[in-house]
Amino acid sequence: MRKYVLKRLVQVMVILFCILTILFVLFRLAPGDPVTRMVDPEMTPEESQHLIEQLGLDKPIWTQYLIYLKNCSTGEFGYSIHYGEPVARVIWDKLPNTILLFTTAVLLSAMVGISWGKIAAWRKGKATDLGLTIAALVTHTLFLPWLALLLVWIFAYQLNWFPITGMISDDVWLDPEAGFFTKAGDVLYHMVLPLTTLFLIHFGSYLLVMRSSMLDTLKEDYIVLARAKGLTERDIRNKHAAPNAWLPVVTSVGLSLAFSINGGALTETVFSWPGIGRELVFAVSHNDYPLAQASFLLISTVVLMSNVVVDVLYAFLDPRIRY
Amino acid sequence: MALLTVENLGIGYQTAKGLLKAVDGVNFTLEPGHSLGLVGESGCGKTTIGMALMGLLPPNGRITEGRIVLDGLEISAMSEDELRKVRWNKVSMIFQAAMNALNPVKRISAQMVEAIQVHRPEVSDEAALTRVEGLFNLVGLPLERLYDFPHQYSGGMKQRAIIAMALALNPKLVIADEPTTALDVIVQDQILKETKELQRQFNIGIIFISHDISIVADVCHQIGVMYAGQLVESGPAEEVFFNSKHPYTQALVSSFPTLAGPKTKLAPIPGEPPNLTGTIPGCRFCDRCPKDTASCKLDHPQWQEVGPGHHVLCDHC
Repeated sequence: MRKYVLKRLVQVMVILFCILTILFVLFRLAPGDPVTRMVDPEMTPEESQHLIEQLGLDKPIWTQYLIYLKNCSTGEFGYSIHYGEPVARVIWDKLPNTILLFTTAVLLSAMVGISWGKIAAWRKGKATDLGLTIAALVTHTLFLPWLALLLVWIFAYQLNWFPITGMISDDVWLDPEAGFFTKAGDVLYHMVLPLTTLFLIHFGSYLLVMRSSMLDTLKEDYIVLARAKGLTERDIRNKHAAPNAWLPVVTSVGLSLAFSINGGALTETVFSWPGIGRELVFAVSHNDYPLAQASFLLISTVVLMSNVVVDVLYAFLDPRIRY
Repeated sequence: MALLTVENLGIGYQTAKGLLKAVDGVNFTLEPGHSLGLVGESGCGKTTIGMALMGLLPPNGRITEGRIVLDGLEISAMSEDELRKVRWNKVSMIFQAAMNALNPVKRISAQMVEAIQVHRPEVSDEAALTRVEGLFNLVGLPLERLYDFPHQYSGGMKQRAIIAMALALNPKLVIADEPTTALDVIVQDQILKETKELQRQFNIGIIFISHDISIVADVCHQIGVMYAGQLVESGPAEEVFFNSKHPYTQALVSSFPTLAGPKTKLAPIPGEPPNLTGTIPGCRFCDRCPKDTASCKLDHPQWQEVGPGHHVLCDHC
């Protein structure tokens, strides 16, 4: 097992190296010149030349590449052109916001999707099943920004129940009297709409995967044996069928955790949620190369690592899988 | 008093083509500690009877007539909740597909303990495990394999584990549905011998379901031969096997090879069983029967006693 994990981690490193290289090439090929953005027109030619030398942009491309690799491997991602702050700090500031929103969204939709999927499979062909399946299909196929805007329009603009954008209200956070719970409550209040959007989009896929996986499992002989043993239907479903139906769902959850970080770009932009996804869109549209590079790298790492985690989890869920 | 009484049992499956009468007018009794073998080809209703005895008919199946009385309890009239308490407690089952009958993600020990604790919640984990260890010894499984997962077992071991599980609560009746079909002949022989021994030791009634009449004749006290949902011949095992009267039983016996005695050509039974969705006038076997007469197709055959306890559903035997 340890050997397998090590092997997978080495693979991840190799793939990350390839991604770094592709990113390097992509950003050099992209239209727009970072220097013109950074260099103040009022600077003297000497000053701007000095800045270019300082950034290393005068060096041959191969040297630039090697410096880039060295910096990335030591966790040195440079300074954000826009913020003038270390990229690592910018990301570090935004990452918790993204994690808060998306982990909550994935866990919530996975829990609900899985338990409803179980019920749908158990009541196959009945009204409950039909209702759940249709609901899952409809919400799952909705276009995320459209749904997000629709929710904003109804619940924030028309009904005025929730804030339109943002993550915190200034008056609450600037109030010295406000305690932890007041602030947490304020964040939760801002989270309702983005969370609802993500939940509606995501729970359907878990439901459908769990449902079909459960239906396969329910045909197995060990379910008949469980019934013959005199177990209650509830125990058969939860203790015998569900643990066997987990695998495909775990893949699905793992991958959506990974995708949520970048799929988050849309959600975060619509709701002005100060997270990585919105930062990425911003960085790309403003030629903030260091920030964009680091964000892409972060997303790639998350996707690769969640794949490893899912594979390792398999071994815990199914004793037949051993590495 | 008989352990099990099956009276005029009829079981139907609701299908797209109408009600399929999988079992029709079956009668038999089983004394405590005795064994009855039900034999017949695929689709003759033998497994359906086994499932009905457990109250485990699929959703589209139901008992249309008659009754099943086990140890004074009328199984055929019980609610799902009542059935659940009877299952495994009074009647357990050794499955046809033992290879897949164990849950692949649960340890054998946990599956065995579960069977005990479902019906005896007061039994502690330790006590249940002690009981399971005893069962392992009984069926000849090594104790160090108790905590294995099913995929670590060979086919024979899985079958033994299922047998051990079936004995966990000292049931009065065990239904063995093709228990050795998936095993090679050597393991099959061992397991059959051990099953016979266990049955004697614990005085368990067994319904042994098989398509192989020679195995059934070897293991069971009584044989019931089934054809197209009906019992067609029943009686003491030796009598039915060596002195079979019904043309179908005779065909079954001669369609299996024997090791001893002269080599004879195996005789397959030509034709197919009738469609069970409609009503069938007359004898169900007549289309494939060498003794077929004009009257066979018209009148329902009557039971004849052809020896002590040996009955045949045929007018010409």
